[in-house]
Amino acid sequence: MSDHSLDGSKRNRLIIITSAVLTIIPFIALIDIPFYNRTNPELGGLPFFYWYQILWLFLAAALFATAGVLYNRYGGE
Amino acid sequence: MLQLAGIITFAVLFAVFLLLGFYGRFWRKGDLSKLDEWALGGRRFGAFIVWFLVGADLYTAYTFIAIPSSVFSIGAIYFFAVPYVAVTFGIAMWAMPKLWKVSKKEGHVTGADFVRKHFNSRSLAILVALVGIVAELPYIALQIVGMLSVMFVMLYGLGSIKLVSDLALILSFLILAVFTYFSGLRGATLTAIFKDALILFTVALVIIVAVLNIGFTKSFQSLPVKYYHLLPLQVNAYWSLFLMSALALYLYPHAITGSLSAKDPKSLRISQSLLPLYGVGLALLALFGILVYGSSSAHAFLLKIPAASRGTYVVPALIFYSLPSWLTGVAFLGIFIGGLVPASIMAISQSNLLTRNIIKEIKPNLTSKGEALVAKVGTIVFLFLALGFVFLFPLSYSVQLQLLGGILILQTLPSIFLGLITNKLNKYGLMAGLIVGIGYGLYLMEEANHFKTWTTTLITLPPFNFPLFIGLIALVANLVVVLVISLIALPFTNKNAVVEN
Repeated sequence: MSDHSLDGSKRNRLIIITSAVLTIIPFIALIDIPFYNRTNPELGGLPFFYWYQILWLFLAAALFATAGVLYNRYGGE
Repeated sequence: MLQLAGIITFAVLFAVFLLLGFYGRFWRKGDLSKLDEWALGGRRFGAFIVWFLVGADLYTAYTFIAIPSSVFSIGAIYFFAVPYVAVTFGIAMWAMPKLWKVSKKEGHVTGADFVRKHFNSRSLAILVALVGIVAELPYIALQIVGMLSVMFVMLYGLGSIKLVSDLALILSFLILAVFTYFSGLRGATLTAIFKDALILFTVALVIIVAVLNIGFTKSFQSLPVKYYHLLPLQVNAYWSLFLMSALALYLYPHAITGSLSAKDPKSLRISQSLLPLYGVGLALLALFGILVYGSSSAHAFLLKIPAASRGTYVVPALIFYSLPSWLTGVAFLGIFIGGLVPASIMAISQSNLLTRNIIKEIKPNLTSKGEALVAKVGTIVFLFLALGFVFLFPLSYSVQLQLLGGILILQTLPSIFLGLITNKLNKYGLMAGLIVGIGYGLYLMEEANHFKTWTTTLITLPPFNFPLFIGLIALVANLVVVLVISLIALPFTNKNAVVEN
């Protein structure tokens, strides 16, 4: 019985850490401005600076939603 | 001036919009004379509706007027709105469900309610409420600018530019005031869905037409390097702008109101996590500020308008010269109500604060009917005050209205966000920090603009040799005061807690 709850809390902590990491990734990708502050490679004439950040809107939604679903299902309220 | 077909589609869709607004009064029927019902829609919206409702705060005049205007006149640095909306929901998806749970348990409707209970301080709550109300004013002003810019392009050619812009302003304001008074948040929700559907449709359409006809290569061709990416000196301004905006969004009373209207914390979290997708429209609209350089007819139109207000008309002009008249009418209505709906949501949350956190503190025996009446009348008063802010910045710099609101609302971060995490902060420290943050922020605004007309919210302050967003500097000052006073007071606070126990 007590083993069971230990497993549960261990798994809980893993879920919380995973959701936190998933949430933080877009912040890192966008805070690293020197990485994307350039023109090339262009996409249909649009500089890298612009399309890289637009791409991250999609990636951020995917990562946040994964984190949210994980946490909602296993992490509690 | 817009042709007849365009005016007809605009008018017909506006009629549909009004019907939805008034039908909203009966939707999931509740007693609208109660403030909870008028303002929170009864706290029972699901993930999908909340997605739209909070998303509606995103597709505002900030998106289709302020940001494209600034990208057009200043360059890539104003693309900061995109990383801002990419990351802000990463904060919201954790902070807001937490606030929701406390609020549900304690019956809170506003952020100031939470502060009052958590720190057991009426004065701090009143202060937070006041800052919330004032910070919304420039944001509402920005919405009025958005509405007026559509009206202006529609009416252009009717008379002199001065006459047309005055007429556009008066019409926009009257429609806003009447709509808000009669509808409440339920009206705003249904209409938010309608408005976003229109906007997404037209943004997609104009982007396809403009990219096919003009293309980015041609639009960028004649532009200097600051339009391709940031200049080295702008890098720090960029992150300070987007991170501070991301922190500020959910401190705004209207964003808190929208979040609290969710039916449970889990669906609230999911709706927040998916909101970065909403930002795709914002990003495309920001690019209108570049594409317009490639459209010779739209650019020629803009050159006829004085530079101080030129940027404001970028999106309406590009739409006007890219789409047939009847579609232009559809798009213009989308933009017009895109200012109208958020402004009305913002004004409603202001009056929530006024009634619950200020009037009720002074006159506790107010009936719920009286409360709702004060809220509705308060809304109209606030709209008039917001109108005054329209004249604070030149129209081309209207994004600064939102950033000014950001500087103010950020100062409530220690009381609300840090309050959600810890109860070790001292209430007098929070009050002092808030006052210092606001005072210092406003002083820096004056200094950055050399005590003349406000056009910027960035300042270069020694020891740094690059500009930063004033909101960040003011928040740091605020936090230092809060932490120092809380540390000094900590032993006494603990002693009190022991005595109480």
